[in-house]
Amino acid sequence: MATKRPLGLWIAAAAGYAFLYAPLAIVVVYSFNDSRLNAEWVGFTLDWYDKLFHDQDMLTAAGNSLVIALTASAVSTVLGTMAGLALYRYQTRLLQVLVLAPIAIPEILMGVSLLIFFVFLDFTLGLVSVTLAHITFCIGFVAIVVRARLAGMDESLTEAARDCGASPWEAFRYVTLPLIMPGVIAGALMAFTLSIDDFVITFFTAGAGTVTLPLQIYSMIKIAVTPEVNAVSSLLMLLTLALIIIAAKVSPTLLRSQEGSAP
Amino acid sequence: MKRLLLALLASLLVAAPALAKDVFHLYNWNNYIAPETIKRFEDFCKCEVVQTYYSDNEELLAKLAAGAKGYDMLVPTSNAVSTLIKGKQLKPIDKSPLPNLKNIDPRYLNTPFDPDNKYSVPYAMSTTIIGYNDVKMKELGLPTDTWAVIFEPRYLEKVKGRITVLDSADELFAAALKYLGYSANDVDEKHWKEAANVIKKSRPYWAAFNASSYIKELTVGNIWLVHGYSNDIFQANLDAQAAKRPFHILQGMPKEGAVLAVDNMVMHKDAPRPDLALKFMNFMLEGKNSAELTNLIGSGNPNTDAVKYIKPEILKNPAIFPDKAVAAKLEQLKDFTGAQRRLRNRMWTEIKAGR
Repeated sequence: MATKRPLGLWIAAAAGYAFLYAPLAIVVVYSFNDSRLNAEWVGFTLDWYDKLFHDQDMLTAAGNSLVIALTASAVSTVLGTMAGLALYRYQTRLLQVLVLAPIAIPEILMGVSLLIFFVFLDFTLGLVSVTLAHITFCIGFVAIVVRARLAGMDESLTEAARDCGASPWEAFRYVTLPLIMPGVIAGALMAFTLSIDDFVITFFTAGAGTVTLPLQIYSMIKIAVTPEVNAVSSLLMLLTLALIIIAAKVSPTLLRSQEGSAP
Repeated sequence: MKRLLLALLASLLVAAPALAKDVFHLYNWNNYIAPETIKRFEDFCKCEVVQTYYSDNEELLAKLAAGAKGYDMLVPTSNAVSTLIKGKQLKPIDKSPLPNLKNIDPRYLNTPFDPDNKYSVPYAMSTTIIGYNDVKMKELGLPTDTWAVIFEPRYLEKVKGRITVLDSADELFAAALKYLGYSANDVDEKHWKEAANVIKKSRPYWAAFNASSYIKELTVGNIWLVHGYSNDIFQANLDAQAAKRPFHILQGMPKEGAVLAVDNMVMHKDAPRPDLALKFMNFMLEGKNSAELTNLIGSGNPNTDAVKYIKPEILKNPAIFPDKAVAAKLEQLKDFTGAQRRLRNRMWTEIKAGR
């Protein structure tokens, strides 16, 4: 930091961040706007938050989204970590394709295929089908992050543990897992955020009466976007921000650990 | 940890079928039934109404074509109804539990989209018309009862950059065809080219092709004239009055005629509760229940028994309840053949690309 950087670089960086964050800031500010139209600033109000907490449709949708995102991120973190370990240990082409393909496949294709698959199995569409679909596309992302973390790990540590008499499970539990933990947490966070705002795949796999937050907001946009949508978006941002802060507290190195080679 | 997750997943699996008590699944447009109507139906059928929403007929068709099920009732527009019939997605309606069907104006029954109403019953309708800012139009001295105001440069000069048209090839071509004096369902390639030329000539005056935010633009006062849906323009005026704007957003029914969209109640072939669906149909065919929707969103109403429950200011709105002469010039859009669809798409691409 001691080296002096050119002013132009600072301005470019500030402009870049402004481009990223100004729209978000506007969404938050206008969630307190006392106007249904939300075209110009009228006055401060908390009415939209009050309305939001009494909007049964919106609350149900938010509840569904949370249940789905929590379940999907938990399950896909476990499976994705296993997949990441396997990818690292057995570097075969086929395995890579199998685990990583869901990341590369266009969402709409995946959504339609999953829907056809569920229909073929005569599986009732609902919370469960959406959760399974989310797990499917999250596994690949977790696996990539975990594998990157493993690539930056010193293999001899696990070997040393085995030499000292640890069973394969113990070596994993007490040596490998703590070392890759930041990667696992990063993967879980990624899975959570991907799941909570997914629209396309959810749209196809959700059944009658299953509404998630993105589906609910999308169907509202057609009529008119009231500041209630701003309010729910602000809360969603707050939740994501809280998760990142918690993750940073739990594992201080997490947000800075970039020593692993990129996948 | 893992066991906990498995237990969670298992509980989800168990919980799903446990919900199968008396639930009626309605797949509907958002804000397309009054909340008090739902409440009254729930009391009447002693069941719970669960609504899921779509915002486009194509969305509904895509989902059902892929095999989604669990919906009892859908509310698609007429041309989507005929697509669903061709795709064998619907269950024929038994008319005996529907005594209220007599309330529907015969003009809206037995249409080419569903002969003899084997599968569908009209629900509500809207038109694609002109919406305008009354103060501005008066100031500029522009007519509001003809498509000419959307398509003729001598009028457009005065509202350049203050007018939007729908971002929909079918709606815009239909308006241009009507303006030229043809049927909205005309499929003559020569007439289509004429219509495309009319559109290309007016395009430089339009601020945008806009199908989503024009309600807000009208209400705010940025846009003074639109080609839009009657329900949206009604909503824009409600918003403008609520925000105490110094103008009204009014509906103008073009004398050349316009596109009419009728939404219909249909039962999905795999409807879990066809009994509740029929109960709902008959319930919605009651004048009072049907009128509540019109009072809420300003939709057109095919129900003759509803008239006495509709707010007088809506009833005397000629864009929502047109007189016989205008009503005769309203047309529902029909589906195209594959070749016609390709031609229309190509023309639309050229228009949007500005060539």
